[in-house]
Amino acid sequence: MPIEQANGLKLHTQHLSTAAPDGQPRPQVVMLHGLVIDNLSSWYYTIANPVAQVADVHLVDLRGHGRSEMPKTGYTVEDNVDDVVALLDRWGITEPVHLFGNSFGGVVSLALAHRHPERVASLFLIEAHFAVEGWGEHMAGSLALAAFGLDEDAVQDWLAENADRKLSRLAKRSERFLTETTLIDDLQAEQPIGWLPEIACPTYAMYGAETDIMDRALELQAKVPGCELEIVPDCSHSLLTEQSALVRDRALTWLDRVT
Amino acid sequence: MPETVTPESVLADLEQILIDVIGDDLLLDGPLTMETSFDQDLQLESIEFVALSEKLLETYGEQVDFVGWLAEMELDDIIALTVGQLVDFVASNASNASNASNADADASEA
Repeated sequence: MPIEQANGLKLHTQHLSTAAPDGQPRPQVVMLHGLVIDNLSSWYYTIANPVAQVADVHLVDLRGHGRSEMPKTGYTVEDNVDDVVALLDRWGITEPVHLFGNSFGGVVSLALAHRHPERVASLFLIEAHFAVEGWGEHMAGSLALAAFGLDEDAVQDWLAENADRKLSRLAKRSERFLTETTLIDDLQAEQPIGWLPEIACPTYAMYGAETDIMDRALELQAKVPGCELEIVPDCSHSLLTEQSALVRDRALTWLDRVT
Repeated sequence: MPETVTPESVLADLEQILIDVIGDDLLLDGPLTMETSFDQDLQLESIEFVALSEKLLETYGEQVDFVGWLAEMELDDIIALTVGQLVDFVASNASNASNASNADADASEA
């Protein structure tokens, strides 16, 4: 398994590609996943392999997630940006990349495009989460609630009795993440972002019509110059898995347009 | 790539890889069969399936085009995958590749 030492951590990554028939260099795509229960497999199961037919796809387990190391501290958006930039350096990718971000991966993508505009060619965002007034408190509140629930003896007993192997492992890992790291505190400290108008690269954003963060969709469209917004009917925040075929088609069309 | 690739040899390789990925618990419910499903029966976490694919790629090399194979599938197809489907895919592609490389070797000897 490709474990990279980057920014002082062991990070699990996967590289998917197919040989270009014409031998031409291909676009570089980096995909970033959502929080806590998510990891790079949500991309692997949905659009990563199809996109790898036309691009070199780099998947990352963000710190604390999947098979990456779970340090006790360092879970701000900026920490995650530093990790991804360190990985790009390690891979020797100096050309601008196409960043795909799902949920929390969306805010990491946006922040990377803002801080390192020379390294980002375009943004393809699905249900991007980002800090607005009260965001940190809200995220931290719901995660703390989850941590509190997972910590209860009764919940642990129920999981032991009823949950299958997969769910038990997910719950155990999530509990460790939420109770033994500074994730909740770090998210709580995030400040609303005021720099969306400074995003300079082409941006495509998709949200489900039933999402709980429609305000982010509208804010992206209003503030990111030239941002194209698509609202998908009858979908929730889990748009990537609910409509993976549609997202795949949009992603391929997007790459065709921006490369 | 192993010299002779048959469904039986792939199944045996796959069992060893699965033990590496998820541990000896794998065999508590009986031997791995072609009907075993990764999700329902083995309760494989999705990140473990990624690790499994990677190890298969290491074993059989680039001739077995997992990326292309998975690219053709919808999410539900991947979730519903059985050991048999994966074994058949690897066995047929690896033996084609093996035949092709043998043919190359024959051609260069001729």
